[in-house]
Amino acid sequence: MRKFKVYATALFIGAFATANAQLIDEKDVTITMDLQPVLQLEMTTPNQLEFVFDEINEYYSGITQYGATILKVSSTVSWDLYAVGRSTGTNGPTFWDQQIDYGNNNPNAIANLPLSLVELRQNQVNNGAGAALGAFADYSAQFSPATTPSGQNSLYVNAGTNTPPTTNDKYIGGHAGTSGVAGQDFLPGGSYLTQTGTTSDYYYSIDYRILPSLPAIFPMAFDATGLVSQDLVTVNGAGAYAEPGVYTMYVQYILLEDQ
Amino acid sequence: MFLRKIYIILFTGILLLVKPSFGQLHCGTVDIVPNTSVNELLTFDSFSQYQGGIVINSVARIRVRVTDQAVPDPLCSWHLYMIVDNNPGAGTPVNEWEELTQYGNGLNINPPINSLEIRVRNGCQTSPIDGVFQTFTNHGDIIDIIAQMILITPAGSCAPNVNGPGDYLTNYNEYNFDIDIRVKPSFQFNPGIYQLNVKFHLEENP
Repeated sequence: MRKFKVYATALFIGAFATANAQLIDEKDVTITMDLQPVLQLEMTTPNQLEFVFDEINEYYSGITQYGATILKVSSTVSWDLYAVGRSTGTNGPTFWDQQIDYGNNNPNAIANLPLSLVELRQNQVNNGAGAALGAFADYSAQFSPATTPSGQNSLYVNAGTNTPPTTNDKYIGGHAGTSGVAGQDFLPGGSYLTQTGTTSDYYYSIDYRILPSLPAIFPMAFDATGLVSQDLVTVNGAGAYAEPGVYTMYVQYILLEDQ
Repeated sequence: MFLRKIYIILFTGILLLVKPSFGQLHCGTVDIVPNTSVNELLTFDSFSQYQGGIVINSVARIRVRVTDQAVPDPLCSWHLYMIVDNNPGAGTPVNEWEELTQYGNGLNINPPINSLEIRVRNGCQTSPIDGVFQTFTNHGDIIDIIAQMILITPAGSCAPNVNGPGDYLTNYNEYNFDIDIRVKPSFQFNPGIYQLNVKFHLEENP
């Protein structure tokens, strides 16, 4: 009888303890997304430019090549774009490479021509440079008259290093800094392919000018800030002039994630 | 002896009153066939993919099989929904994909959950959301495919909200759901690897 009570009680408890539960089944779909950064800089124009100075007026007024470079940007991340003058370093990392020299090697004939004598002009203002601190944030200013030396279009040079321009220097698009605020120091991801209208932050036309002047001292050569002159007289003393010859250099355009 | 009889009568009566449960209410079985997990990797490594997005049709098929009990219960019906999970235990913000790793400097935003679009469809368009891409917003959000309802629409109706017993083998266009996904990333997202889980939940109605 006692065992019967125990069994009956257990069965009683078990009856109430059994819960009602709906039948259920589940299936998982796991989606992994790999967003790889894509930065594309297209240049559809010739990559060789020649400046031949064999006329007096060309020395005085310089030679300008309009629209010689077209840059098209496509980026999936916020980006900056800048230009830097470089050479192979034959005469030093901040000077043009002299390939041939003419003349009689006069002591005042200077072969070390600064890379910064090249001037650039971009067709529109840099809309991502609100936080720039320098005198010139980009290359959008008009070329200054031959009689008014200015560093507003002087090409940035970093002596062959990988150092990008600072907040005091010039960028074509975006600028130095990581504020994360649109318009301050970067341009947002996007592409020239989807832009409409007459201007685009993803499309740039670049003009080049070299103005030797007479004597040929290149008065438009300035440092990265555009404030300190690097013409041949300032650097080498009175009487200096560019040694006649053939010189080469290259302009490197660098597109990088906002930094 | 008399007391023993009393106990027998008493407990038998109680057992009859207490509804015995065998883990179900009205249906025999409720299954997604197969219920193995699906893993899909979307790789964005070209500008055209960022611009146009990636669409994966039939990334998964939800095949429903709901059977009656040995003695059919006319109240047997089911509902099906999907729920999103971004692993909040890892510290993931409620409205973002789970970040597995990040490239770059991380100055922008991580992709939000609503950048994933999901579409359910079958031949009879039984789901009210059939053929239209849906989005979740936060972790735990639920989207009904076949909602829980009292009205039972039997198999073979090829009508909205078919939810009676049935099988994808015999009524494919009502009990099979093709799942499509689409992602069109924004250019403002941090590059990296991200993950989301969408769980499909099939359950008999109480």
